[in-house]
Amino acid sequence: MAVGTQRLDFAEFYRRSADDCLRAVLVSVGDRDRAQDLVDEAFTRAFASWRTVSRHPAPPAWVVRTALNANISWWRRLRREVPVAEPGMAAAPAAAATDSPVDPMIMAALMRLPARQRQVVALRLFLDLDTARTAEVLGIAPSTVKAHLARAIASLRDDLMPERQQETPS
Amino acid sequence: MNDDELTTMVCQSFTGVHTTTPVEQIASRGRAVRARRRIPALAGALAVVAAAALATTSLLPGTHRASPQPNAQLAAWTVTRQADGSIRVTIRELRNPAGLQSKLRADGVPASVTLTGQQNPSCRRYPGSPGLLRRVISPSFEVLPAPRQGPPANTPGEALSLVVVLLIHPSALPSGIGVQLATTFTMQLPIDSNGGVSKVAHGDVEHGLVYASPRCTG
Repeated sequence: MAVGTQRLDFAEFYRRSADDCLRAVLVSVGDRDRAQDLVDEAFTRAFASWRTVSRHPAPPAWVVRTALNANISWWRRLRREVPVAEPGMAAAPAAAATDSPVDPMIMAALMRLPARQRQVVALRLFLDLDTARTAEVLGIAPSTVKAHLARAIASLRDDLMPERQQETPS
Repeated sequence: MNDDELTTMVCQSFTGVHTTTPVEQIASRGRAVRARRRIPALAGALAVVAAAALATTSLLPGTHRASPQPNAQLAAWTVTRQADGSIRVTIRELRNPAGLQSKLRADGVPASVTLTGQQNPSCRRYPGSPGLLRRVISPSFEVLPAPRQGPPANTPGEALSLVVVLLIHPSALPSGIGVQLATTFTMQLPIDSNGGVSKVAHGDVEHGLVYASPRCTG
């Protein structure tokens, strides 16, 4: 693959999937700035390994999985950054986040879900992956994906519906 | 509300979330990652190439330039204040880090600037959030034509070098806080680009926030 073609392919992939990946990671980690950092890092790695990633059956899933793995490393790295003489290495996008905030009630309800349920929600609902692919990405059984999703939706309903109903004029 | 309506409502609440990072910045960082990956395999060969290049250029008379090269006199680093008040720092080679530190301080940015691994032990890390650090400093890499010395090379590709660009926003710095920069350029000599822009020199930059003090930031 020529370098120019490779760049175009990646740019198109980024244009189509960056927002979805960001939203999926945001659902998983709950912090806008951190989600942006993680997604940037994951897309950077995708660019660096684009020949491989472009052949992945679901490149956006690869990006989100990489971002979530980096999230674990990020926290470890933070702990290692405690010594005074060690400088920081945080990633840095070009501009601060200026988009509209997510409904705080919905975000709070998502954050109350266990981490694995949030990951399933991120992949199944925000990346629109099917059960089999979600199971593959997370390394769990398809039946477990279904169970996590069902529990997550039930919890969200319990959390959100009473409040939503109160907002509706009778 | 059924399950589909509920999940649609949840997803729609995120439609205002958009990435803020341009693809060019991702690509630039990705190229730097590629370059770093290739260092172990290329290090030996590049060291030889670098030594050969040094020996060659030292023998070439500088007055025989066939055409003016606009980048021939590039400084090792430059500091520019931009219209929006931000400071743009371009580092091609970290010569005289103390000079860069003084220049930044003169421009209102308390800073400790060193080579990687030689950080000032008097500096005390400021435990700000990554979001704060991101608002203060935006680092990126750029691949630029390398300054050429002597007559044009007989190689078909263009000489390239890796440059660190830091955009610092002094207004985002909390009072009494400075920045800590540490950079490394292990392969700064121009490398022929026959194989594409991923074959560039290796640079690295680490950055963080520190408490400003005379012993740390001067």
